[in-house]
Amino acid sequence: MLHTTPVTRLLLIEDEQDMARYLSKGLEEAGYSVTHADQAEQAKHLALTQHWDIMIVDRMLPHEQDGLDIIKHTRQAGIQTPVLVLSALASLDDRVRGLRDGGDDYLTKPFALPELLARLEALIRRANPSPNATLNSRQLKLADLTLDLLSRKAERAGQPITLQPREFKLLEYLVRNQGQVVTRTMLLESVWDFHFDPGTNVIDVQISRLRNKIDKGHSVPLVHTVRGVGYRFGLDG
Amino acid sequence: MDRIWHSVAFRLALLCGALVVASVLVLSSVFYFVSLGLLARNIDGKILSITERFSEDAEINGLSVLAQRIESTLSDGVDSDVEILLLTNARGQKLAGNISGWNDTSTPLDQTIDYVLKRGDQLLPSRIRLHKMSNGALLVVGRDMQDLSEIGSLIARAVVIGGVSALLLAILATLVFRRQLERRIWAIRHTTQEIEAGNLDRRITLSGTPDEFDRLSGDINRMLDRIQHLMEGVRHVSNTIAHNLRTPLGLIRGHLEEALRGVPEPRKLEEAGHFAIGAIDDLIVVLEKLLQIAEAESGARRQPFEPVLLRTVVTDLLELYDAAAEALGVTLIVDIEGEPTLAGDKDLLAGILANLIDNALKYAGSPAEVTIQVRETAEAVSIIVQDNGPGIAVHERAKVVQRFYRLSSTRPGSGLGLSIVSAFTQLHDGTLFIEDAQPGLKVRIELPKPLSQTV
Repeated sequence: MLHTTPVTRLLLIEDEQDMARYLSKGLEEAGYSVTHADQAEQAKHLALTQHWDIMIVDRMLPHEQDGLDIIKHTRQAGIQTPVLVLSALASLDDRVRGLRDGGDDYLTKPFALPELLARLEALIRRANPSPNATLNSRQLKLADLTLDLLSRKAERAGQPITLQPREFKLLEYLVRNQGQVVTRTMLLESVWDFHFDPGTNVIDVQISRLRNKIDKGHSVPLVHTVRGVGYRFGLDG
Repeated sequence: MDRIWHSVAFRLALLCGALVVASVLVLSSVFYFVSLGLLARNIDGKILSITERFSEDAEINGLSVLAQRIESTLSDGVDSDVEILLLTNARGQKLAGNISGWNDTSTPLDQTIDYVLKRGDQLLPSRIRLHKMSNGALLVVGRDMQDLSEIGSLIARAVVIGGVSALLLAILATLVFRRQLERRIWAIRHTTQEIEAGNLDRRITLSGTPDEFDRLSGDINRMLDRIQHLMEGVRHVSNTIAHNLRTPLGLIRGHLEEALRGVPEPRKLEEAGHFAIGAIDDLIVVLEKLLQIAEAESGARRQPFEPVLLRTVVTDLLELYDAAAEALGVTLIVDIEGEPTLAGDKDLLAGILANLIDNALKYAGSPAEVTIQVRETAEAVSIIVQDNGPGIAVHERAKVVQRFYRLSSTRPGSGLGLSIVSAFTQLHDGTLFIEDAQPGLKVRIELPKPLSQTV
């Protein structure tokens, strides 16, 4: 499932035992090698002394410790491992702080495990860009679909597709993250730069309109719905 | 006793009483000394003029003429009972007058002085003046001061009586004043104690006279009204929240119970699981929205306000909702004049518009037209989202901003959309108007621009 390294080493910093057990199980099933730390000092030591591909940091740790301090320490030590901040502090202010203090993404509790997995994947991919994406920055390709990034035009099997600017941006994001699950919130944040819940199924409707333009009249669908989570773009469902 | 000293009323009253007594005393003393002093000066003047006149007379006409004149003066009936006159020759023999003679050689000459005169066995307080003439004769002119000292003691007695009664009145006033003050303050204290004990609906009874205490009591009562209103609001909100969380929780529990009843079937369990997750996700969204409202209502800005280009926000939102509108057969129309800019929070302003567009898509029906209009003046930016749907009845317009208030329970929704709009608008110091678009709903938001921004 992950193509970058054979084993993805993940450091999970979480003090709540039940949550940690549930997370470790889910993450290991998704192919991660999980090391769990439940104390701030131990976590800091692990973060600074070993190599990790990604870290999950809970904010409220025992003894009034803030997980953000651990992130600050690792960043000061020059370690650029991607970090996903996990927190029950849901206010947008906390979110802004979390990202400012070195977190790469912020997820509030309670959350859906597929959302967490999708975000972890996106973070790892961003940290290790796949070689074929950088090779040709003018064009993005998937099967018979081609996106011209300069002229902002798309075509499938030689047929031009009429896209509005935002639709092109949405398609571009999907192609760049091909093969991965992307959630509705990820799309809302990345394509529209909105950090609130717009209520109705606006993203679903956007995707279904795009699906109509991309997949209609073609035998192989590229847009796939992942039930209860979001979407995956690619050849295989 | 110690307690009474700590009473402001007592100390104030005492001070007032003391001041009254002191002023009475000062007034009386001034009156006493001024009136008596005036009389005394008058008398001294008279004594001097008589002395001068008589001695002149004697120098010109001789002692015998003066003696005659003295006798006639003493018998003319004018002030004869208080006049003191004596004329002796150089050897000290009395020539005329109403005192027997003058033996006291230590008396200074040509000075008007107080002197106690012996007349028979009576001692008379008096003012006298001695003058020795060139031939050695002695002239004594004086006045019996007995009556004047009687007047003096009369005034003094009046002063003392007046002072004492003023003192008594002051003490009485102190007690009355203190009682009055205590009574009024007690009314306030009594009410506050009852409120402290939990009766928040108690109010201070006003006396009816618009004095300081009534004004203070009125202020306190108004403050209590406001606090009670807020408390009821908080109670109402938590009641509503509790109620609105119970219903979905009950549904989740029911579904899970049903799936587990009898022999569990994997298909039923899976369905129940998916239902539960969906319902819990909805609850999480509701809680998140409530937190957002609370955060905005607390007035705390999560980040400093920055200039927001409203055209960009509206365009972004339009490109988010266009597909949904298309699917519902709703036409979205954007009408922006100029380049309206406002100091604010971009995400919150987008949240306001998103909720309004979302509402319009949900309730305007199909086909419908939804217009998003932005206008900018020197003082304010107004945002209008208007549809041509059924609108909201007049009596429900005030209620729709309340948390969980829903016009229809058959449509999906949390009943929080307009509460969020209202809270976010307030955080931007704006005002929310819900109006009739004839036909349809017109939601107008007036956002004032700070003065510095218009310059």
